[in-house]
Amino acid sequence: MARTLSAPEAKPDRSMAITRRTFLHKSLLTAGITAGATTYGWLPLINTVDLAFGQTAFKFAWLSDTHLYPKDVNTRFVEKTVRAVKEIQAMNPPADFLIFGGDLAQLADPVELDLGADILKEVKIRKVFIPGEHDWYLDMGQKWERLFGKSPWTFDHKGVRFIGLDTVSRGPDYWTAKKMTPKERMGHMATLDGSVAGAWAGVGRDQIQWLSTTLGNWPKDRPVVIFTHNPLYEYYPPWNFWVRDWREVHEALKSFKNVTNIHGHVHQVLYNEIGNIRSIGMLATSWPWPYAPEGVPALTKCHLRVDPGDHYDGVGWSQLTMGAAGKIETEYVMWRKKEHLIGEAAVDSGCGDNVNQILSPRLADREWPFYGAYK
Amino acid sequence: MPARGEGTRSMKIVRDLLAIVLVVGVALLAATAGRDRAFAHKEKHTPDQLKAFEDIFIDQVKIGDLLFHGDGDTEKRMGAQLSKTGMACAMCHPFASDTHPHEFPKFQEQINKFATLRDMINWCIEKPNEGIKLAEDSDAMKALEAYIYWSNRGSKLDAGRH
Repeated sequence: MARTLSAPEAKPDRSMAITRRTFLHKSLLTAGITAGATTYGWLPLINTVDLAFGQTAFKFAWLSDTHLYPKDVNTRFVEKTVRAVKEIQAMNPPADFLIFGGDLAQLADPVELDLGADILKEVKIRKVFIPGEHDWYLDMGQKWERLFGKSPWTFDHKGVRFIGLDTVSRGPDYWTAKKMTPKERMGHMATLDGSVAGAWAGVGRDQIQWLSTTLGNWPKDRPVVIFTHNPLYEYYPPWNFWVRDWREVHEALKSFKNVTNIHGHVHQVLYNEIGNIRSIGMLATSWPWPYAPEGVPALTKCHLRVDPGDHYDGVGWSQLTMGAAGKIETEYVMWRKKEHLIGEAAVDSGCGDNVNQILSPRLADREWPFYGAYK
Repeated sequence: MPARGEGTRSMKIVRDLLAIVLVVGVALLAATAGRDRAFAHKEKHTPDQLKAFEDIFIDQVKIGDLLFHGDGDTEKRMGAQLSKTGMACAMCHPFASDTHPHEFPKFQEQINKFATLRDMINWCIEKPNEGIKLAEDSDAMKALEAYIYWSNRGSKLDAGRH
């Protein structure tokens, strides 16, 4: 895809190259760094980012896709969210801020959202939020916005313009004609491989216009970091591993040399570059999604196959660093992968089986009265 | 040499006997069909027959799809409890991906034994989902198997592959 769509030689500015580093289980960002134009690989374990652009180096943490149920249904996801929050709070030196990247709740139940808000109170650094579809489609975002505010938003921090977009709230209306209850609407939205909610992920003309205006006064060579729940490119539309209007988004961003999109939703190690824009997928704390049967970007080095018997495998958070030398680094804090995160051989790779996996869209939820899961 | 009239009478008796044998045979076949065994491939298939076969399969696929996606009503109707954690099979296996039905039977690391797809389905129900495992020949198991195979039917058979 990158080959087809990118102008010759177009690449994100290497001053923000993602570098290969050895995972440090305690999430310390002190390991040696090997930067260079050929180092696309990175070894994730937590979702944090170190950033710096000619100024003081700083780091921030990413947490998303906690998918909390009420405690009486599932304590497993609660425990993992609490663990991530404690680790983020314990970062030393502390992160400058935490970005929560959506899907705090599983079914947008007020009990789930309140539970998440309570857990996140333990993080005392600055927090910013963007919603996921699991937070939204019960009451169309009312509770979410009361707790965490509206999107889009932007702020400048140490030479970087940060932007948070809402990629979930502009889904087509699949519920009114079928007179669905809010719970039914939420249930279809919460089913990743469902056939009913359709291509719900999108940025929307209004936000793209807002994005252009917001970046209107920003120098073209200065770094821009855009947080979204869904990836800002086309990876695998049947699971909304995309936004449907990603081409228009790229058009609005094409004059900027240094754009990094950091996204959730995919629950997996993922990396792509199209033109001047790089996209980095973050882990979930809840469970890992499998790599899609097609569309995994060629630049992605897939993580090791996950052990489904271990609730702490294939999941975690991330820290990202902007270093004084102008590099952005992603370090995935995947709790159970200590020495090796990436599966090079097909037998070890999380996407190694995709070469012989031809899948079919669902049948049952297309038919009335088969109204699928999560009633 | 029999007279002409006698020959005609003999032929009539033979004809009548053959007719009786035929009627009795057909009646016996009709009486036993559907009891102990179904007779297959004695006639060309009609489009209606083929559609009926397909419908039986697709009905099971749909039931399996609903079970796989955590539909509580279907679980109740089938007497199954596939999860106690809120998790459904499809939450780790959208489109039944990463189930690899075409690779079974094989040695399965998590179970530490040579396993069938049904073994693996039951392992997922019991371990990650903390549900109650299914009888191997239960309707719910067969429906889950139908959905998983159907969704992966384009994949190449590759038994034993890890």
